[in-house]
Amino acid sequence: MVTIPMEHGLIFAGALFALGLAGVLLRRNLLFMLLSIEIMLNAAGVAFVVAGAKWQEADGQVMFFFILAIAAAEVSVGLAILLQMYHRFKTLDTDAVSRMRG
Amino acid sequence: MQDLLALIVMLPLAGFAALMFGRRFPRGLVAAVGVGSVGASAAIATIVAWGTSGTFTQPLWRWLSVGAFRVDISLHLDPLSLAFVMVVTWVGFLIHLYSARFMAEGEGYARFFAWMNLFVASMLILVLADNLLLLYLGWEGVGLCSYLLIGFWYKEQANARAAVKAFIVTRVGDAALAVALLLIWTSLGTLDIAAVGAKASAQWASGSGLAIAAALLLLGGAVGKSAQLPLQTWLPDAMAGPTPVSALIHAATMVTAGVYLIARMRAIFELAPIVMTLVAVIGAATLLLAGFSALTQRDIKRVLAYSTMSQVGTMFLALGVGAWSASVYHFVTHAFFKSLLFLAAGVVILRMREEHDMFRMGGLRKKLPLTFWTFLIGALALSALPPTAGFFSKDAILAEVWKRGGAGLWLAGLVGALITSLYTFRMVFLVFFGEAKEEPKQDAGWTMGIPLVILATSSVVAGFFRLPEGGRTEWLLMSASAAASLAGILIAWLIYVRRPEAGFRFGRTKLAAFWLSGWGFDVAYDTLFVRPLAGFARVNRGDFIDAFFRALAALALLDHRAFSGSVTGRVRWYVAGLACGAVVVVAVLVLL
Amino acid sequence: MTAVFYISSVVALVATAMTITRRNPVHALLYFIVSLLAVAVDFFVLGAPFVAAIEVIVYAGAIMVLFVFVIMTLNVSSEAAGEKPAIFARGAWIGPSALAFALLVELAYVIAKSAGAAAGGVSVPPAEVGRALYGPYLIAVELASLLLLAGLVGAYHLGRREVAGK
Repeated sequence: MVTIPMEHGLIFAGALFALGLAGVLLRRNLLFMLLSIEIMLNAAGVAFVVAGAKWQEADGQVMFFFILAIAAAEVSVGLAILLQMYHRFKTLDTDAVSRMRG
Repeated sequence: MQDLLALIVMLPLAGFAALMFGRRFPRGLVAAVGVGSVGASAAIATIVAWGTSGTFTQPLWRWLSVGAFRVDISLHLDPLSLAFVMVVTWVGFLIHLYSARFMAEGEGYARFFAWMNLFVASMLILVLADNLLLLYLGWEGVGLCSYLLIGFWYKEQANARAAVKAFIVTRVGDAALAVALLLIWTSLGTLDIAAVGAKASAQWASGSGLAIAAALLLLGGAVGKSAQLPLQTWLPDAMAGPTPVSALIHAATMVTAGVYLIARMRAIFELAPIVMTLVAVIGAATLLLAGFSALTQRDIKRVLAYSTMSQVGTMFLALGVGAWSASVYHFVTHAFFKSLLFLAAGVVILRMREEHDMFRMGGLRKKLPLTFWTFLIGALALSALPPTAGFFSKDAILAEVWKRGGAGLWLAGLVGALITSLYTFRMVFLVFFGEAKEEPKQDAGWTMGIPLVILATSSVVAGFFRLPEGGRTEWLLMSASAAASLAGILIAWLIYVRRPEAGFRFGRTKLAAFWLSGWGFDVAYDTLFVRPLAGFARVNRGDFIDAFFRALAALALLDHRAFSGSVTGRVRWYVAGLACGAVVVVAVLVLL
Repeated sequence: MTAVFYISSVVALVATAMTITRRNPVHALLYFIVSLLAVAVDFFVLGAPFVAAIEVIVYAGAIMVLFVFVIMTLNVSSEAAGEKPAIFARGAWIGPSALAFALLVELAYVIAKSAGAAAGGVSVPPAEVGRALYGPYLIAVELASLLLLAGLVGAYHLGRREVAGK
């Protein structure tokens, strides 16, 4: 088992999160947006695990477990919405589906 | 037995509360609640009257207590209020019974009865109030109901206008009454009616400034509510309401609230002899003015409205000369025969398919026999022909006026009597005699007929309770007034039966047009008050307060545009917003 | 062994960057799986073998399979999915990237300020994680199960073909 400075792990998590955010902002395809949200959730999980490793407690891993549960629930609903959207609009472009505007 | 007193008020109030939610009730239930509550109230009023001698006060609960200012909800019964309670409940019950059939067609059945019940409750609070503030509550309550019921058919612009006019004109009087209340409280330190009377007599000298001011302000309130000069213009327009409303509110009860107020506050009025004279003069002037106006009206209900003003003027005349009991007596008999006339007129109007113009009626004597005979009895009572109740009550007033008020006022009363019988029988001859012009539907049914018959009986019988005293002067006066009434009928017969074209010719003169318009009061008030105020309001429309609020509205609209513009429907923009927020929040963390 | 952490971290970041820039969803998915595997290696190195395994099995396994299913069901080419030939309109990538970068810089700054602590070194075995899960976190576990159930019901409801109103 190695020890690394905790900030390296956290910055790694932050970088992953920033990439995920950039993905959500850049892509118009709903599939890629969901994927990017997964990246962000995963990044949050990384931060928890790194923090747990610092304190050498199980809590960080437990939190990762819950994030996993949230990711699973979110992705199932998100993909169902994606399917429905494709059936209705024959597109995955979120900008094309903007009827709920003010 | 006396403890039931509160129930007399509570029952119509409960009826109102129930009918407020009665929009979906079946009509039978609405009628049962609306008529039943007033009927039960009338029955209880009779029981209470039976078991009461002298006065009785029933405190219910404390209403307000601010420092030394304490007001109770407390009911007070004495012969004066008993007379009013009996009339309000019994006449009210008969009119409700009549309305159950009269209002059966058309919408708003539950609304009508809810407001009628609220009116009866308010009127009872007014006459049973033990202190002036509670009286004022009832006073405003009947004003509100009057407004609501005049505008009952609010979808017609004219009706809504009439309602607003009645409300605003009576409000002038109500404001005077409110000031009177404040004056009495600040100078006497109490609003309890009995205490006010006692303290006023003890503290104020006869003819002192305070007494005159208080009496004048009270008179202002009475004048507004009772449609006397100079606040009489609302009553003819108030006929826009349904006929039972006109009968109950604008003939029998509410317009006599002014009479009640003056009779109730007689202690103060007796301290201000000048104001007493003013009351008599106002009464006499209204009596004549309204009588002449009634001579020229074509609308049967407006004739009755002017007649009501004229009769209430007679009561004011009696009050002004100090004939308190004669005035109240005339109120009772007037309530019977005037509501009878209104209800019978209502049948005529209903059966003639909403025809109000008397010149388009005629010959209805054969077609509507029940209505004709009851109307005739009412007309005889209004014309004060012996042996009807109207004769005795009016004679009592004229005798008192002769004794205490002098020949001038008496002559005014006598001329008024002549005019009264003239316009009354002009109405009878135009509506029921002559040739038939339009075929009516059937006569009044039993629900409308029973109230007519009972009221007609009362209009005759009520006179025997208070027979005039004998004596040479009394007999002479009596003969004079009876002769005046008979003369009026004779003139009406000569003009409207023998030579109808003479009546038509008179109707086209300038004088008749002047009288028809109610002596030009409406026009005068319009140019004096309404137009300048409306003009001022129009000029003042864009003042700075308005500008401020308009700017506020514009700002809200701008915000609305900006924010609704931000709702693009594009998910990525929302995410970008979230990200910006995160950046800012973390930046704040970093910088602090 | 320290080098393993940094190498796999770089692999994960590069794979993630590739994920969000691919035009073909299947390619993107494959890159994402690589990224997840690299993260799993990081977990293992940091002494968290349980979550490392879970990351591979559940994340890279189950959840990604869901994505694969959906892509296969739709059978969409990137054009049909509404993506224009150019993934990023010219200049359109600058704003979002700058935003994400600003966030990263801020995070890095905040993290660096509290530098000094070391992480890892001791392995926290799965047994301990299990005891924590079913000890103090029992209610949270139940809530997570409820959430999954809600996700299941929601996915079933939304995924039905016959749409209300048609």
